[in-house]
Amino acid sequence: MTINSEYASDYTLMELMAATMAREFQDMETAFVGIGPPLIAAMLAKFTHAPNMTIAVEGGAIGSAPRRLLTCIADSTIDERAYSCLPMWRLFGDQQRGFFNVGLIGAAQIDRYGNLNTTAIGGYPQPKVRVAGSGGGNDIGSSVGRLLIMMRQEKRRFVERVDYLTTPGFLSGGDSRKKAGLLGSGPAAVITDMGVFRFESDSKEMYLASCHPGLEPEEVRANVSWDLKIHPDCTVTEAPTREQVEIMHIVDPYGLYLGNGRAKMADPEKGFDFYMEILENSYDMMEQLFARKG
Amino acid sequence: MQKKHRTAPINKVMSLKQAVAQFVQDGAYLSFGGIGDRSPTASVHEVARQGKKNLQLVSDTSTSFVHDSILIGLGLVDKFEIAYNWGGIWGSDEVYRRALEQEIPHRIEIEEYSNLSIGMRFLAASMGLSFMPVKSLLGSDIPVHNSKIKIIDDPYTGKPVALVPAAYPDVAFIHVQRCDQMGNAQILGHIGDDDSLARAAEHVIITTEEIVPTDEIRRYPNLTCIPYYCVDAVVHVPFGSHGRGCSYYYAMDVPYGNQVNKAWATQEDFQRWAEEWIYGVNDWEGYCQKIGWDRLMRLACIEQRYQKYGEVR
Repeated sequence: MTINSEYASDYTLMELMAATMAREFQDMETAFVGIGPPLIAAMLAKFTHAPNMTIAVEGGAIGSAPRRLLTCIADSTIDERAYSCLPMWRLFGDQQRGFFNVGLIGAAQIDRYGNLNTTAIGGYPQPKVRVAGSGGGNDIGSSVGRLLIMMRQEKRRFVERVDYLTTPGFLSGGDSRKKAGLLGSGPAAVITDMGVFRFESDSKEMYLASCHPGLEPEEVRANVSWDLKIHPDCTVTEAPTREQVEIMHIVDPYGLYLGNGRAKMADPEKGFDFYMEILENSYDMMEQLFARKG
Repeated sequence: MQKKHRTAPINKVMSLKQAVAQFVQDGAYLSFGGIGDRSPTASVHEVARQGKKNLQLVSDTSTSFVHDSILIGLGLVDKFEIAYNWGGIWGSDEVYRRALEQEIPHRIEIEEYSNLSIGMRFLAASMGLSFMPVKSLLGSDIPVHNSKIKIIDDPYTGKPVALVPAAYPDVAFIHVQRCDQMGNAQILGHIGDDDSLARAAEHVIITTEEIVPTDEIRRYPNLTCIPYYCVDAVVHVPFGSHGRGCSYYYAMDVPYGNQVNKAWATQEDFQRWAEEWIYGVNDWEGYCQKIGWDRLMRLACIEQRYQKYGEVR
């Protein structure tokens, strides 16, 4: 590792997560990305080490180059300066055909084999807590080249078996995913606010690959419901570079995803003016970023 | 399969009140189109205002606060076929949670899919077929709880494949940017599954930001993803998807959704919200008046700073 001056000394946990996730993307890839922190991670990759990466979002837009922050997988922002806008089934068809190297989504629950739940906690169809449902999650997990997952680390979220299997990971491990007829190669990495997890090549069981700075593997294990395997070479997660933090501050200057900017927007008096201010200021900042790094 | 009635190339312009009254019956199987943006919110409000009930709804992705959840919260829905229903950046959908967790205001039957598999259902119907195969859903709990989905061995490869049934709604509501009087509808930006939906549904009501001359449609015919013969009614509804945005016309109103999210906290709050914003106005123009035309114009100006049809920005 090079001298520390390359690394940022001041960053938040969300910024560490996004920066770590950004490193999972490679140049020249086509990536299927969900909105929120996943999108910040993908844009960060594009403005640093992966300038020729193309981002597609499930609303149906490919390769947009927006000068404002995306607020949804299907808002008008995703169309801004896009290569192509398609029907949604056509975009998913492209994925099923094998055009998308990598996908990135979040989840409410995950299990030992990387299966995800975004539907219901505690029973179905009348659950204790209902959430959104699959959306495109099941489709991405089924067919994308490799799947990346970004979520909060909590014991009740990292469970032995998901309450409802919305999006397939490795199902019951081993070759069960392949036997089910699924196309994509399954989960490659899970990044949380505590560490980075990967999957054993044969058993397909999740293991801890690195802990974020300041944490011990046992502390991470205490936030997982099953007896988590820890890789013998478990390392410390690389800190964000200064450049990564600088770019995140340009892409999300008001902390809508990486901070508490969203709460400010809900203010009935000042929320709308705040939103307009974000949009009015974004153009010039992003034009400069595109000129420099795009 | 079912033969869809075909409409003639004639003037179909009418009011939203008239279109809903004419085409939507109690017990109808409805689909509100769009995905995220181009939400046909004006139509959702009008169906609610006319008290159409015992509805069955089908959607790929439905956005809380502007879409299907409004009708669910009002107790007008019996069955919901859906891939995703949530608020995204607007936050959690307490109406949907109450309906499924506590059967408030009453029990709804739910039939779940993924976004692609709902898209395949509309695509199948758009071609007069009864099903479509898809390589999603396999190995998940979605088919475990939805007996309409069949997992079979593909007769050509021998490998597992999921079959999903065609969806033929009675009426589809689709909001577009540009449409002529006879119903040649042009969508700018992402299309969702609306091109398939327009062909799948028995009747189609187009709400449009602008009604343009047919000569304007003829300039860029590739943009016409819905030809007139699919369409029964054309309704001029500027800002018809407010709350959400409309590409090249106006931006999403993010603070609006954040505030409605708070207004839906309890069922009583939700009912008060509906009284004020749906039943308390006569039509969508009344809603726009209440939101404020200056706010709507600011959303239009900011969208057009970033993208405007036919111009580099």
